[in-house]
Amino acid sequence: MEIEVISDEGFGGTSYESLFVEIMSDVGKAFQMEKALLVLKPEVPLFIFSVRLRSEPADKTIADVASIRTENDTIHITVTDERYEANILKELWERFGRGSVEQQTRFDMEVKGASEGDVGPITVASGEEYLKEIVGAIWRSMPEGIKNRHTFIKEQTITVVATEEIFEPHMLEEGMAYHMKMAEGGKDV
Amino acid sequence: MFEVLMYDGGVYRTEELIELVEDVGGVIIQKTRSSQMMTVTMSIPEEDKEVITEFCREIGGVVRPVPLAGTEIAVVGPTLGRHHMPHPICDIAEHLRRQGAITVVMGLARGRGKKTAQINLEERMIIDEYDAAIFSLGNFKACIEAKTDLFSEIRVPTILVAGPMPDGMEGKCEAVVSGVGRRASRMRTPPERAKLDEIADSVEMVLKDRKRLLDEDPLSIHPAEIKRLLEEYEPVNMCLRPAPVVLHLDGLRVKIGYDEHHEDIENMEIYGRRIGEICRLSPSKINDSSIIIKIKTRSEVRHEDSGREGADDP
Repeated sequence: MEIEVISDEGFGGTSYESLFVEIMSDVGKAFQMEKALLVLKPEVPLFIFSVRLRSEPADKTIADVASIRTENDTIHITVTDERYEANILKELWERFGRGSVEQQTRFDMEVKGASEGDVGPITVASGEEYLKEIVGAIWRSMPEGIKNRHTFIKEQTITVVATEEIFEPHMLEEGMAYHMKMAEGGKDV
Repeated sequence: MFEVLMYDGGVYRTEELIELVEDVGGVIIQKTRSSQMMTVTMSIPEEDKEVITEFCREIGGVVRPVPLAGTEIAVVGPTLGRHHMPHPICDIAEHLRRQGAITVVMGLARGRGKKTAQINLEERMIIDEYDAAIFSLGNFKACIEAKTDLFSEIRVPTILVAGPMPDGMEGKCEAVVSGVGRRASRMRTPPERAKLDEIADSVEMVLKDRKRLLDEDPLSIHPAEIKRLLEEYEPVNMCLRPAPVVLHLDGLRVKIGYDEHHEDIENMEIYGRRIGEICRLSPSKINDSSIIIKIKTRSEVRHEDSGREGADDP
């Protein structure tokens, strides 16, 4: 993840850069981010945190995150993205019952009495939920007292503008300007 | 001269250690048992240090000097939210405990933010019950300088711990330690441990000044002597709270109810005087389940005695 920090505060700027990386890694979102821009103006106070994701948040199906093959009347699933493993199991148990689903190893499962057409399109993570998690992670990395927040979302770019009390129009305009630059993917941000 | 040491080891033969400390004329300041492990903080005559150290080694424990023993310190953060807890506030509190202090962690109800941060009278009075307070603020100089009202009116010595070094702190706190702001992980690397040592050193220095002030007009009795007396009082002896009697530089905190027990304690006798005559008892501001005992200085006691004698004269 590429990070750019705009701040007049020497210590604050450096420490928030590492704080942002640590928090995003803790919540498992760092690898999904292509670029982050942190604008820190504690003297106002105004904080703009903008991130550009590697891919647009979308629903994920079992076919997206696992390989599926059929042998006789049994479906074999090999999970390729471990993050979704718990959700895959949960969905399979709900639809086919625990007796029909067997987890053989950490990444391999079998489903009896199902077809690839039944299993492949099952949604295991919604794009909306994913977006919510990213916004939550950004909120978590922001200073605690900065509670008045506004979020801009455009395709892969999410920008949170936050201040302590009342939003003044110029704050939102500034936030929108950074958001647009990040959304365009400009390297001149 | 007395020296304060901490034994850290198993419970095996600790009763013998306690007897030995009492035999050499020392005092047990704190005794904390956790399962099969025991921590004993003791004040012993310097010339007997060798004997005590040798015995501790013999029973398989370690012994080390603890400069902050006999103090209770509050580590205060703007809130108890995850932005400030557990790092660095708990790291600081834990490090001070290793130096022998009893520490508590506090979060303010409305301490977050820059312009809206505030402390109320009740919080201030609670902090004033401790020997010293450490305020841990964040990473932005502008915010820290705007939040000095949080600690500028605290009466006990205050140490500010913050990321950048703020300006204009003269007269608002006793010491400032910079380089420790908001953190998302434990302070475990050598430079971070060195920062924790720096904080402990600042606390020690600030408390040394306080002790020097107390030496100018000494207390009428040492808090440890009242502690020894209180430990024989059944409600204290039966109290299940950790460290039921905590020493302060100028008194004690006793973790039993004020309404029920203050009269009994006031009427206890030590060196031929009632505790009520030489100490002030008040309920803790946290709730009424603790009693704060402030020991009067010798000059205060003498002044009150002479006032009483004057009133008794016909």
